[in-house]
Amino acid sequence: MGADTRATEDTIVADKNCSKIHYIAPNIYCCGAGTAADTEMTTNMISSQIELHRLNTGRTPRVCTANRLLKQFLFRYHGYISAALVLGGVDTTGSYLYSIHPHGSTDKLPYVTMGSGSLAAMAVFEDGFKAEMEKEEAMKLVRDAIAAGIFNDLGSGSNVDLCIITKDKVEYLRPYDEANLKGVRQGNYRYKKGTTAVLKKEVVKSMFEVVKTQVKTTKPESMDTT
Amino acid sequence: MSERYSFSLTTFSPSGKLVQIEYALAAVAAGAPSVGIKASNGVVLATEKKQKSILYDENSMHKIEMITKNVGMVYSGMGPDYRVLIKSARKLAQQYYLAYQEHIPTAQIVQRIANVMQEYTQSGGVRPFGVSLLIAGWDEDEERPYLYQCDPSGAYFAWKATAMGKNYVNGKTFLEKRYSENLELEDAVHTAILTLKESFEGQMTEDNIEIGICNQDGFRRLNPTEVKDYLASVQ
Repeated sequence: MGADTRATEDTIVADKNCSKIHYIAPNIYCCGAGTAADTEMTTNMISSQIELHRLNTGRTPRVCTANRLLKQFLFRYHGYISAALVLGGVDTTGSYLYSIHPHGSTDKLPYVTMGSGSLAAMAVFEDGFKAEMEKEEAMKLVRDAIAAGIFNDLGSGSNVDLCIITKDKVEYLRPYDEANLKGVRQGNYRYKKGTTAVLKKEVVKSMFEVVKTQVKTTKPESMDTT
Repeated sequence: MSERYSFSLTTFSPSGKLVQIEYALAAVAAGAPSVGIKASNGVVLATEKKQKSILYDENSMHKIEMITKNVGMVYSGMGPDYRVLIKSARKLAQQYYLAYQEHIPTAQIVQRIANVMQEYTQSGGVRPFGVSLLIAGWDEDEERPYLYQCDPSGAYFAWKATAMGKNYVNGKTFLEKRYSENLELEDAVHTAILTLKESFEGQMTEDNIEIGICNQDGFRRLNPTEVKDYLASVQ
């Protein structure tokens, strides 16, 4: 799974390096698009519920469980919670990828994209996706898809974060690709002293007119002992 | 909680005691022995898990349970009451995490559980819990272990080492002699097994006791193979 790292407030970039891949369980992660607060709070809540479920059942949580909890929560709010999520993970039954929309509909698919850059990213996926890809190929494809969003969509930008979940471990690569590092200034643009020639120097004393003089004695105030 | 009674069934006796709590403590003292020892680098919880028949599937249910990854607990007394408290404790721990983005410190979860137990001594139509809990935790910030006991009254105590359940007086006396400040976790497990052995009738095996440890790697219940190794070094 991959994500960009730009958080916007309309047309202003609020955070140039925010983390959009959220932890749900040791084997389940969720990318969040939409309102940052909604995605953060929703994923935190479901992460807590999954943890409780894990303790009560004694089993590794399933991705479908997280999917159910998320969709049932979002449906209850009829789309007012603006969280568009990409949920992925590996459990005892296999590996799964879901896309979850704010109204509560979910799709279980081999490749999904969400967010403002989703069209650019999906274009890359549709061109490059093959079934049973190797890990390196898949990482490159996801990176390219996010990059398409970063460079062609104004709502996406900065770095590419990746999260690779396998049966044995999770690789949380943040950043995976820093594609938008601030450039280093090539030259020194400071003007040397003396560049502008001084033709004349004149010192004028500013005159203050005395309007009023008042003399006051300062005596210590008596203590208030009431 | 019952909606029928609005008055508490736990009422004061003329001598100033709450007899229901006294009886609850008696239920605890009649329960299976459990032991907790705080070492310099961790805490160990141990309990007897004797089943009445060989037909019981011992490994399907556990007495030592995890609350969060850094806190675990065990009980003496009534099993069903314990299960209610585990569920409550786990939920409280998650609520704390959601609110503060921090794993609940041991002292905090103990206070919350004790508060739940106290509520049941002063609410309408309910009875006190028939369990005493031993809660073991590792504090990430302070990098130290904690061991607490929670009683049916809602009172809680921090211990260096303690015993509960049947023969707890003998257990405590044994611990008083054996405990030292610079005990390591390995030795503490050893001592815990010996303490349980004092009141154990019959042969101790890896299937009729349960051991849990809590150190900087978190809380975990030892699997039967590990328990067997410890027992072998005791025998």
